Amino acid sequence: MNREQVMERLTEIFRDVFDDESIVLTVNTSAKDIEDWDSLEHINLIAAVEKAFRMRFTMKEVSGMKNVGEMADIVMARGKANR
Amino acid sequence: MIFSSLIFLYLFLPLCILSYSACKRIRSRNLVLVIFSLLFYAWGEPTRILYLLLSVAVNYLCGIGAGAEQKSVVRKLSLGVSLVFNLCMIGVFKYADFLISNINFIFGQDIPLTGIVQMIGISFYTFQVMSYVIDCYWETVTPQRDPLKFLLYVSLFPQLIAGPIVRYSTIAEEIDDRRTTLADLSYGFSRFVVGLAKKVILADNLFQIVEQFLGNIDSQTILGTWYGVILYSLYVYFDFSGYSDMAIALGRIFGFHFDENFRHPFLCKDITEFWQRWHISLGSFFRDYLLPLPVFGIRNKYLSLGLVWLCTGIWHGASWNYILWGLYYGAFILLEAKIGKKKMRSFPLWARHIYNKLVIIIGFGIFYFEDFKKLGMFLRNLTIFNPNGFFSFAEQMSLYNNLFLIIAAIACCFPLLELPKKLAEKHGTLKAGISVAGTVGCAVLLLLSSLLLVDATTVAFLYYRF
Repeated sequence: MNREQVMERLTEIFRDVFDDESIVLTVNTSAKDIEDWDSLEHINLIAAVEKAFRMRFTMKEVSGMKNVGEMADIVMARGKANR
Repeated sequence: MIFSSLIFLYLFLPLCILSYSACKRIRSRNLVLVIFSLLFYAWGEPTRILYLLLSVAVNYLCGIGAGAEQKSVVRKLSLGVSLVFNLCMIGVFKYADFLISNINFIFGQDIPLTGIVQMIGISFYTFQVMSYVIDCYWETVTPQRDPLKFLLYVSLFPQLIAGPIVRYSTIAEEIDDRRTTLADLSYGFSRFVVGLAKKVILADNLFQIVEQFLGNIDSQTILGTWYGVILYSLYVYFDFSGYSDMAIALGRIFGFHFDENFRHPFLCKDITEFWQRWHISLGSFFRDYLLPLPVFGIRNKYLSLGLVWLCTGIWHGASWNYILWGLYYGAFILLEAKIGKKKMRSFPLWARHIYNKLVIIIGFGIFYFEDFKKLGMFLRNLTIFNPNGFFSFAEQMSLYNNLFLIIAAIACCFPLLELPKKLAEKHGTLKAGISVAGTVGCAVLLLLSSLLLVDATTVAFLYYRF
């Protein structure tokens, strides 16, 4: 998977989790940019990303992820496409 | 020793500041702070300071092990040892008798209670060292190899006993090198006096009224019950936020910048926001270290939320009412999460304020009554099922006698101190006048607080026992 494919899939997941079709992700998108992305919704988001890419984030990654770019890096390193 | 005592204010603190100022090198300054911090703790726990030192030693070594480069087994083992040790410490010193009495009750056993009295501040410093070792394991901080510096981080007296739970990353650089500017001193002293006044003038006086009304809940009227629990909510806020103000202020005097622990929580518009403004250091601890934990291997926000609020309740005390209190808040936060932020915002602001204040105030009632029979009476007495009538002369007299105290307490829930700051920023010419007024105001508050302390039986901070 290249970064473009990962970002495209992540965009679908974000739109689904936050129920907002207008979300457009960039590598710099963070919780500040998406109103509903709080610590609680972050758990559901992580669960959805883990399911889609058949992978597991570590607790450090879940807690310390700063933006979508960091999430995409981890997914590219360990994730598998699952469409 | 507690901050709101004459011995602290007029002997311990001046001696500490003088000794600290007399040292020029950072290592000597750290040593002075460590000596005074240990003395501060030993004042209340002369023998149990050994457990504090044991905790420091174990977590110092575990931090180095957890942050070891490329030795996965050592890292995991160190983290494991630290977590088990810290949870056992807290379990034995805080929950042993609670656990035994519940086993006795459920299984009809007669296991004798240990009689272990809880150690002051154990919940705070244990969480602090756990966060440090986890951060070392996650490599978000570099382990501290200097034992004196690590001892300073854990024992630093401003935050040792009742928080805030200071993360190592917040003060790591300041442990190595820091300076206190005149602005820091001015800020530190004035904020300390504000915190002291919150505790001595507001909280301690509110507590006396609370005891009068909630202390005999069985014969309380509807109005008396509401009056008592509203004042109790204010009392807890001023007691704990006053302590946090003093802790942050003392930190600043010695060159440390701790994060805020309260941001005017009663101004919240919903319960979720209340907990973003109340005891922030505990909330962020659970958010960062517990919320990401899959519950029974499942990552689900509702399960995680339940776990966090169960632990929040348990953290507050070894009694079922605290667990109920935690789950009660968890339930409302879950409800708000279900409703969604947009829908929540669509409700009129006044309705949201009434909703959250009711939840918070009743919540503090659950927090107050450790005895479930009395808690039941309290909940009944809030309603028309109260057999003692709607109101009595006692509430009227109490309100009349304490009107200024109550008005001052309610006013102080708002960010009043922001006003002069904003005014000075807007009108430069007023800056000098506002500064003089601030200094005079602080002097008056210090004098008044000291006078009240001369004549008072010391009321310990509520959060000392957590």
